[in-house]
Amino acid sequence: MRTCVTQFAVTSSMLLYSSVPDRQAARFAPSTNQRSFDDRAGAYNDVMFSRAHATPEAKAQTSMDETPISRGFRSRRQEEISKGRVPPGQYVTTDFPVLSAGPTPLIKPEDWTLALQLGGSLLGKWTWAEFAALPQTTITTDIHCVTKWSKLGTTWQGVTFDDLLKAVDIAEPAAHYIMAHCDGGYTTNVPVADLVAGKGLVATRYEGLPILPAHGGPARLLVPHLYFWKSAKWVRRLRFMEKDERGFWESFGYHNYGDPWKEQRYDGD
Amino acid sequence: MIDNSSSGVLDGNAAAGLLQEIFVLDVTTAQIECAACGSTWVVGSLRLYAIQMGAILRCNHCDGVVMKAVRTPHGHWLEMTGARNLIFQV
Amino acid sequence: MMVIETAPVAARRLGWLLAEVREILVETPRVTSLLLHVAGWQGHRAGQHVDIRLTAEDGYQAQRSYSVASPPEDDLLALTVERVENGEVSQYLVGHVSAGDQFQLRGPIGGYFVWTAATGGPLCLVAGGSGIVPLMAMLRHRDRRSSRAPTVLVYSSRSLEDVIYRDELDAMASRDPRMRVVNTLTRKQPEGWMGYGRRIDRALLAETCFPPEQNPKIYVCGPTPFVESVSRLLVELGHNTRAVKTERFGPSGA
Repeated sequence: MRTCVTQFAVTSSMLLYSSVPDRQAARFAPSTNQRSFDDRAGAYNDVMFSRAHATPEAKAQTSMDETPISRGFRSRRQEEISKGRVPPGQYVTTDFPVLSAGPTPLIKPEDWTLALQLGGSLLGKWTWAEFAALPQTTITTDIHCVTKWSKLGTTWQGVTFDDLLKAVDIAEPAAHYIMAHCDGGYTTNVPVADLVAGKGLVATRYEGLPILPAHGGPARLLVPHLYFWKSAKWVRRLRFMEKDERGFWESFGYHNYGDPWKEQRYDGD
Repeated sequence: MIDNSSSGVLDGNAAAGLLQEIFVLDVTTAQIECAACGSTWVVGSLRLYAIQMGAILRCNHCDGVVMKAVRTPHGHWLEMTGARNLIFQV
Repeated sequence: MMVIETAPVAARRLGWLLAEVREILVETPRVTSLLLHVAGWQGHRAGQHVDIRLTAEDGYQAQRSYSVASPPEDDLLALTVERVENGEVSQYLVGHVSAGDQFQLRGPIGGYFVWTAATGGPLCLVAGGSGIVPLMAMLRHRDRRSSRAPTVLVYSSRSLEDVIYRDELDAMASRDPRMRVVNTLTRKQPEGWMGYGRRIDRALLAETCFPPEQNPKIYVCGPTPFVESVSRLLVELGHNTRAVKTERFGPSGA
């Protein structure tokens, strides 16, 4: 048996354009791969279908006559959307699904620190106890995941980005962008304008209890007005950047900014 | 310390559908060499994360990302900077 | 850029096929099998899965993956589906769908988690709940081929009524001395139950599975926590980690 050895010198992501001559919007049908077991958790990746059928052009392209209608199948989600409260394409869930790009780090609060950086210099660093001594803010907000679930009225407690800046005597943010760095290697970029004025906080409690590791504990970034992948779990470092750099998902197919109200899910949207 | 029993983890096998849109042939039966630690695994046996957003395949030995795939309306994305070799039986 | 030294095996693109429900079998109170006719089906190997896609009249679509329950020898393709609370697709497939209904299907997918009679044994299958589905395809294939591979199925279920394919498994085991079915019922055991009544632990696996020296082919399938626990135990018992093939179904639906 011959073996084929394929060597890689790939230094950047390869963008491949789908060339399958499939007349339906089916090109974008993601596979959820939740076996006969938990299709509740797997329900998130049908993103493009709602969009594809939302626009007249998409309707014209999609030859619906050829797609077999599954008699009696209807989406429960669309019945639940409350107009104005939930961004387009989202449905409300009472679950709190866990989505992670890697294994859950288990960090003890006594080992945790949070750093605020500009270039090579440390603007501020807090231990768990020092962080707890900062002004605490509790907010109740809706959160929206790019995989289409929205959770309404979630309550979080932590320290606002404004209060972090105050704690290190920074009146004006040091640069326009922040990269959040997390245990496990996850990163996400957020404009500082989307963190100040109460828009962002580093949260340590959810619904009054310490955030569970699977949900990002001991601390996660919370930027609820953007898609929830920006609310980075296991945050450890907030690094000011002069120029915007793309984080984990932003550099791999997903939108750089991620406004749910504009349905900015993917790069190119 | 890493908790690997995250209930959302799947096997690389579960990404076979998405990967077959890109590779055409079934890459989950191929062997892949992790660029970070040099260990070799069948792609279908790797730990698969974030299936809801795409596919993040990590080395079973060192947890390094070996392969990533995402399907977007504007095209498929594939990244394999974490892999040194992909070995197919032909 | 990728350099291909030799041409890889030619494969067809995965395209959407039309599946029509021909028969519906109620397996347990929560589990139903759908027997499908799939136009243009090219065949599959035991252990593989398919993606199915449902389309509502307003154009809304939902997609899921399901393991194929039938062996490649059968004419109709069987999917066994467990109805999950709040499961948009499973609630439709279990209870709402009727013979004649159609949806789209693509596959077969996944060449890693497969067993063919040619692979041989000894064969050790460990199933948790609906994780039995791809393993059942393997057992049915083994049966159709009259394989002589020594086989043990360790099957963990909550209670006796949750054991999918119970009668068929009992029948297979009684007519084949080389096949053994070991049930463990973790939550509720019937009166007079003589079998295991606990979650799979190291002792249970040691008592039931072929030892590492016999180099068994091992397949583990079920919810992720189940699969990870069983895999870890098998490695502790001395099995090579690469000899244990796993199919995690994701978080438990319970």
